[in-house]
Amino acid sequence: MKDPYKVLEINRGASKEEIQKAYRRLVKKYHPDQYQNHPLQKLAEEKLAEVNKAYDILMKNGGASGGYSGSSGYSYGSENAFFEQVRIHINNGDLNRAEQMLNQTDKRTAEWFYLKGLIFQRKGWYAQARSHFQTAVNMEPGNAEYNSALNMMNYNNNMYRERSGGYGNRDMDDLCTICQCLICTDCCCECMGGDFITCC
Amino acid sequence: MFGYILPDKPELKIKEYELYRAYYCGVCRAIKRRHGNIPRLTLTYDITFLALFLSALVEKQPDYQDFRCILHPMKRRKMVSSSEILDYAADMNVLLSWLNLRDKWQDEKSKAARAGMFVLRRAYERVKAEYPEKSRMINEKLGELARLEKDKCASIDQAAEPFARLMEELICHPLVCTDKKIEALLRRTGYHVGKWLYTLDALDDLEEDIKNKSYNPFVYEYNYQGGDIKEFRSSLLDDAEFLLIHTLSELARCFELLEFKRHKNIAGNIIYLGMQKKTEAVLGRRNCIERPVQGIGN
Repeated sequence: MKDPYKVLEINRGASKEEIQKAYRRLVKKYHPDQYQNHPLQKLAEEKLAEVNKAYDILMKNGGASGGYSGSSGYSYGSENAFFEQVRIHINNGDLNRAEQMLNQTDKRTAEWFYLKGLIFQRKGWYAQARSHFQTAVNMEPGNAEYNSALNMMNYNNNMYRERSGGYGNRDMDDLCTICQCLICTDCCCECMGGDFITCC
Repeated sequence: MFGYILPDKPELKIKEYELYRAYYCGVCRAIKRRHGNIPRLTLTYDITFLALFLSALVEKQPDYQDFRCILHPMKRRKMVSSSEILDYAADMNVLLSWLNLRDKWQDEKSKAARAGMFVLRRAYERVKAEYPEKSRMINEKLGELARLEKDKCASIDQAAEPFARLMEELICHPLVCTDKKIEALLRRTGYHVGKWLYTLDALDDLEEDIKNKSYNPFVYEYNYQGGDIKEFRSSLLDDAEFLLIHTLSELARCFELLEFKRHKNIAGNIIYLGMQKKTEAVLGRRNCIERPVQGIGN
């Protein structure tokens, strides 16, 4: 087992913020998107797993030097039950309660960022929603739920742009475009000594 | 208001364009009838959109009448005859214009704004007395906005919130909000219109605001620390574009769910094309969308 402080490239006794900062920097660095179909892909994945593990140890157990205070303000049995409760509030449309709960905990996990993003999205705060989803995906690149939330936002933008075609076919090829192409082809052919349209 | 909400004229049928203009003229005439000639000068396209949009959703069929416009005395034109919705739009136009001038006067000590306030004073008082609840809410939202600006709010989402809520309030007309479901949908529509307007305006004014050292949410959200303004602006364009288009995409979803009694095509043209085109124009990096209509289209 490697020393989690070494893995995250920080000093012993680093504060919670420092750990988080280092973690986010490394996650970005080893993110699978950067290594798609890359010979180093496997290595990057291993590195990322290591980073995730080190982060979990430091954040959950408080680390050797007690850099993490460990108080979460909520006494839910497990993290899952806590986030489950937040999800229930969001689904019921009780965004204030959900946000309050999230703000009271110190656990800045990928799920935390995802749920926060979900709240922002419901509120119509799309810039914030997107950046929170992005952080969740960066922290846990393999998570389908976080990825799909982020992709959905992009997808909606594309849908809007596509639908606008229904109110005027701006981007469709029409007769003018075809004529332009034919005339250009003819000009090019003539330049090269040939001829595409014989009458002109 | 900003005058950003326009139809994409080349893609409208001629009869649709005339209908749109009939609303513009109708609101203009309504302002004249209710408040006199001078306040007519404050009419914006955004309010025309409001009048058309609300009229498209109410049961009552609008009436049209021919008239001669004082600016174009030789031509006979059609305009929408006065209705409750048109009067409401006219009043809201006066209310917002006056509040806008007041903010200008308070922020910049603009003499012209002070003069405008003086001219619109009586019209404003009249509107305020007629819609005490609405004008109180709108005033409250503008107060929130001023506070956020003073605190140099560093989130574009947060800074846009009060104005989005203001539009929410504005679009909620009792004739249209017949039940809770429609009201929720309509409020959502208003929210996204307002959010788009505020965000686009912030982006449009970015360079000027930096030069004048005025507040602009993008400056704080993206942490401008001196340096080339153009470069700073282009560094945030991707995010701004995403936000603006996403807001429009949500607006379009509301549009698809609303039950239009008429004018759906014009409203759709505005939401899908006009507002998109305006967004691209302010972003100022795609010009393919600006190209004229091509020959034989649909």
